[in-house]
Amino acid sequence: MKFQIEDVTVYFPYDNIYPEQYSYMVELKRALDAKGHCLLEMPTGTGKTIALLSLITSYVLSKPSNPVKLLYCTRTVHEMEKTLAELRFLHNYQVKHLGPSARILALGLSSRKNLCVNPSVISAENRDSVDAACRKLTASWVRAMAIENPNIPTCEFFENYEKAASDAVLPPGVYTLQDLRAFGKEKGWCPYFLARHMVQFANVVVYSYQYLLDPKVAGIISKEMQRESVVVFDEAHNIDNVCIEALSVSVRMQTLEGATRNLNRMSQEIERLKATDAGRLRAEYNRLVEGLAQRGNLPITDTWFSNPTLPEDILKEAVPGNIRRAEHFVSVLRRLVQYFKGRLQTENVEKEGPVTFVASINAQVGIDQKMLRFCYDRLHSLMLTLEITDTDEFLHIQTICDLATLVGTYARGFSIIIEPFDERMPHIPDPVLQLCCHDASLAIKPVFERFQSVVITSGTLSPIDLYPRLLNFNPVVSRSFTMSLTRDCICPMVLTRGSDQLPVSTKYDLRSDPGVEKNYGKLLVEMVSVVPDGIVCFFVSYSYMDGIVNSWHESGILKEIMQHKLVFIETQDVVETTLALDNYRRACDCGRGAVFFSVARGKVAEGIDFDRHYGRLVIMFGVPFQYTLSRILLARLEYLRETFQIREGDFLTFDALRQAAQCVGRVIRSKADYGMMIFADKRYSRHDKRSKLPGWILSHLRDAHLNLSTDMAVHIAREFLRRMAQPYDKTGAMGKKTLLSQEDLEKMANGAGEMLF
Amino acid sequence: MYAGNLLLMLLHFMLKLEEWSLINLLLLLTMNNLAGKKQNDELSYFKKTVGSELQVLHKQFVYGGILTEAEFWATRKKLLDQNDSRRPKQRLALKNEMWTVKPLSDGQTNRVTFNLTPEIIHQIFAEKPAVRQAYLNFVPNKMTEKEFWTKYSRAEYLHSTKNVVAAAAEAAEDEELAVFLKRDDMLANEARRKIRRVDPTVDMEADEGDDYIHLPDRGLLQDEAKDVLDSQYEPYRRSFSQDLNQHAAVVLQGRLVDVELGDTRTVAEALIRTKQAELSDEISNRNLERKLSDRISRITEIEDLQGPRDPAVAPLSIKDPRDYFDSQQPNALKALGDTGSGTKSFRSRVSPREAYGSLRDIVSDIRVMGLSEPIMNQEVALKVLNGLTQNISSTKLHLGNNPHESVLDRLPKVTKEELMHHWTSVQELLKHFWSSYPITTKYLYAKVTRLKDAMSQVYPKLQEIKESVQSDFRHQVSLLVHPMLQALDAAFAYYDADVQKRSGKSGERPNGSV
Repeated sequence: MKFQIEDVTVYFPYDNIYPEQYSYMVELKRALDAKGHCLLEMPTGTGKTIALLSLITSYVLSKPSNPVKLLYCTRTVHEMEKTLAELRFLHNYQVKHLGPSARILALGLSSRKNLCVNPSVISAENRDSVDAACRKLTASWVRAMAIENPNIPTCEFFENYEKAASDAVLPPGVYTLQDLRAFGKEKGWCPYFLARHMVQFANVVVYSYQYLLDPKVAGIISKEMQRESVVVFDEAHNIDNVCIEALSVSVRMQTLEGATRNLNRMSQEIERLKATDAGRLRAEYNRLVEGLAQRGNLPITDTWFSNPTLPEDILKEAVPGNIRRAEHFVSVLRRLVQYFKGRLQTENVEKEGPVTFVASINAQVGIDQKMLRFCYDRLHSLMLTLEITDTDEFLHIQTICDLATLVGTYARGFSIIIEPFDERMPHIPDPVLQLCCHDASLAIKPVFERFQSVVITSGTLSPIDLYPRLLNFNPVVSRSFTMSLTRDCICPMVLTRGSDQLPVSTKYDLRSDPGVEKNYGKLLVEMVSVVPDGIVCFFVSYSYMDGIVNSWHESGILKEIMQHKLVFIETQDVVETTLALDNYRRACDCGRGAVFFSVARGKVAEGIDFDRHYGRLVIMFGVPFQYTLSRILLARLEYLRETFQIREGDFLTFDALRQAAQCVGRVIRSKADYGMMIFADKRYSRHDKRSKLPGWILSHLRDAHLNLSTDMAVHIAREFLRRMAQPYDKTGAMGKKTLLSQEDLEKMANGAGEMLF
Repeated sequence: MYAGNLLLMLLHFMLKLEEWSLINLLLLLTMNNLAGKKQNDELSYFKKTVGSELQVLHKQFVYGGILTEAEFWATRKKLLDQNDSRRPKQRLALKNEMWTVKPLSDGQTNRVTFNLTPEIIHQIFAEKPAVRQAYLNFVPNKMTEKEFWTKYSRAEYLHSTKNVVAAAAEAAEDEELAVFLKRDDMLANEARRKIRRVDPTVDMEADEGDDYIHLPDRGLLQDEAKDVLDSQYEPYRRSFSQDLNQHAAVVLQGRLVDVELGDTRTVAEALIRTKQAELSDEISNRNLERKLSDRISRITEIEDLQGPRDPAVAPLSIKDPRDYFDSQQPNALKALGDTGSGTKSFRSRVSPREAYGSLRDIVSDIRVMGLSEPIMNQEVALKVLNGLTQNISSTKLHLGNNPHESVLDRLPKVTKEELMHHWTSVQELLKHFWSSYPITTKYLYAKVTRLKDAMSQVYPKLQEIKESVQSDFRHQVSLLVHPMLQALDAAFAYYDADVQKRSGKSGERPNGSV
């Protein structure tokens, strides 16, 4: 369908549109017009992504004089693939109606691991070894040597790509990672470098958050994006955590040992180089005197992670004289590693700010703040000079320099915490030194400053006024949409008691109570016999899940569950979890039915949809609070209180409830879909907890469903499922319209601002 | 003959319920190894255990002298055999139950007992390829089957104690035991192979490649405490979650091998063969990527925003077409049968040419005069309409409240039982009656006569039932009795025709005539 929003003609690939999608587009358009940032909360299952994509693409089509580029950030690769699939659907529609003028280039960008097609490289196990394997074949000095000596292997895909030079372009269209690989294989060009190159010309780029937020990656990939771009962070409820993680580093004993090995190897290399090619070291020295601005001239294959701090924080000045010579720098790093080793010997937990930490380094090993700050770039330069290709071996020393640079750059918003052992296992010594960032606004600040519009959107952004404070920005539009439902297709319930009327909770004192475990088990046993197809269960942590599943196994509850459905479980091994999920879906597809056990804050909760028959019921066992005794969390809470006046309790509840809402929100995808949500903990019935849930869940949470026991919940579930099985009118005839056609929209435009909500 | 065949089919159809109980019986028999014994034994066994219905029939006909013992059972035997050969045995799914070591200890000594059945062994082989491989390698060259399973149980027991260090120590001493204690490498390989084929929308492994935050030592430490183990113990760590996932995956895949579970070695070999077949399938399946991307684009569409579409038509797949159509035919016949038993009389000798000619005349008539005449006789139409209305309203009146209740349930219990009894006995008689044709021997002739006599006695009994019930049920009962009478009528009509034919042909009057 096609309709007007003020001066923009929107092409929407479906025959109908939900009213909230329409309002969402209206708000988004205002933000784009104002060239400002916006914050939009819209429930899952209302087609956020397609609304957003069609408005922005249509906006560009309507204003050809002002080509806006869309940078769409997703959290995971599979969301990237989903978004690109929706974009392709939209693109096909637009091309059909507007002809070839609507053609755009859209592509996904990921790491070498997901894009490489060279069989000898891709067989490496993890990302770092794939990167290193690629470098071994494509680094500029390797290729230079290969010209002289044909026995040195190179990558044929990269060579072909280089040979094609300016002819190596992607024709317009929408490319998922799979399509890129297929295209690369067909042409014989390296898809990774082709994609990296095409990013500059693409109209839409879909990639991971970290390509914008993590300065190390963003410095290489995103530095050339123009200011006239719209940046979208989808599913952004966790964006503050991504930001602080991007600037946090931890160091263990193993890291320090690895770093020492790295330094030894570098010393050897330096000695060797001195004997064979001293000129190279001298050239490096001269370059360093002039400053480090040479990065821009590096060939594309030699780029590595860039500086971990933010662009404007890097001083445009020469490297300090005392670390310009390679051997001097190596000995500085040795002293630094030695210092860290000494700090890790501590018996007590220590916590200090960056300023005291830097002062103590200076006093003990004589490395001042400026030297620390240049560590990372100096290391990078040295590794290039030494022509090191197996970069995956050098991650340890890189970590050390990372930490040094961060500590040398920022005086606020960080703290250093040294713990001699894990709080929960005091008998096992496991010393760790952590540099943790507390201020989410640091990492995202350059994004807000560089791009004209940043859209932060998700299904759960409640309370919506907290995000501007956490991220320190001023949105021009900040709105939360409710969901207009044709029928009550979601059914949230709060279960506070088992069938024996005893309270259930994962509170610390009740957590390992066998009665609670049994009641939780009985709840699931009852539900598997009532609910068809898929059921998803979320637990508060891996250790709790392992414990309770084992105790269910021993008491025979698991066996009862298995009589009705297959059981799959999330583990910390990603490959295994992926296969389990795949099998789970297959079990739901074939009608066998299955239960999936998962963890709140885990990978599955973050990004996998359990829509339609893949999830008719989701049970949240307990309230997913963070581990409140963690020193990092305490330090962050303190920082939040001092800087933003956010109370600890408020933040913890906010954080737990957004995770819970995130977990249960995965069951619904469209209004034709339906699902139940059970919050199984007595604490959810309290107003201060419950009120933090997003509005679209709260509005369906009836008072009668606030204090249920297992048998009542089963009864409600039966009723609900029976009701959902009835045929219904999709357009929502009685009272409100929940599905608008093109005519409706035209009528609305003429009727001048008849509000839908 | 045609009508006779159809009736036979009808009977066959109706007898299905009975067959089931017989199949159960036979299963019981085979399990008790009685199958090979003499028929007499079987018969007595049948008599003892068969449901009351069969017993009553048996009493009525065999003791009543209408049928001999052999005749009575012969028809049933045949049905049973036919049934067995025609339908493939149903494939059973795997049981969704995990085998765990629940040691049965006698409490006094240190001895621990385990129970293993062929079913469990099959499950273990399917879930743990390393054990399967070990079995093929070790048994019987290196150790006996018993030793093998003892060792395996010991390994499982060690795992169940969750003492990784002890497990590692034991494994160091005994290299065969170590095979069971170590992590299953074959599974890991299989996982690596399978991960390439998963749906990209759930592929979390791909995220690892894009995750620049969770490098070792980057980002914040996760809250999860990871227990640190020495690397030498690492291969001995195994989690329950892993087993759980593997178990569910195997159950989902279903029973792959179709061999007797008795011999362990054949089971193991068959499993390996199916795995290899799977592997070669995968290699040949090139358009998998295409399929996956199609799938994604299909599920990304939001269905209720889409305009109405042609409903997707699922193709009808009939496993056994004969079964399907055979069972349809009697239904069709039943519907026809209501018009009376005079189906035959409608048959006239009209050649296709004549029929075509008359049809053409009618069509041209209509073209000239238009459709002035009603297509149907008005009186007939009215009668049918009235009949239907009455019928519907009366059944509705009785049955409206509860759709599950059948007409039978509303009748008095005695009447119901009586009706059921007559129904089965009429069935039995008719079955024997029709199976005796064509009459080739004297013996058959005598049998038919006996049967006919018995059948003629059913008429007054049915009439009696009809009269005995209260007036509100009379209509229902007569509706129920009607098909029985029809079936009997058809049998008598055939009998009479046959007798006439015989007498006309040979002129010889058979002895014992009516």
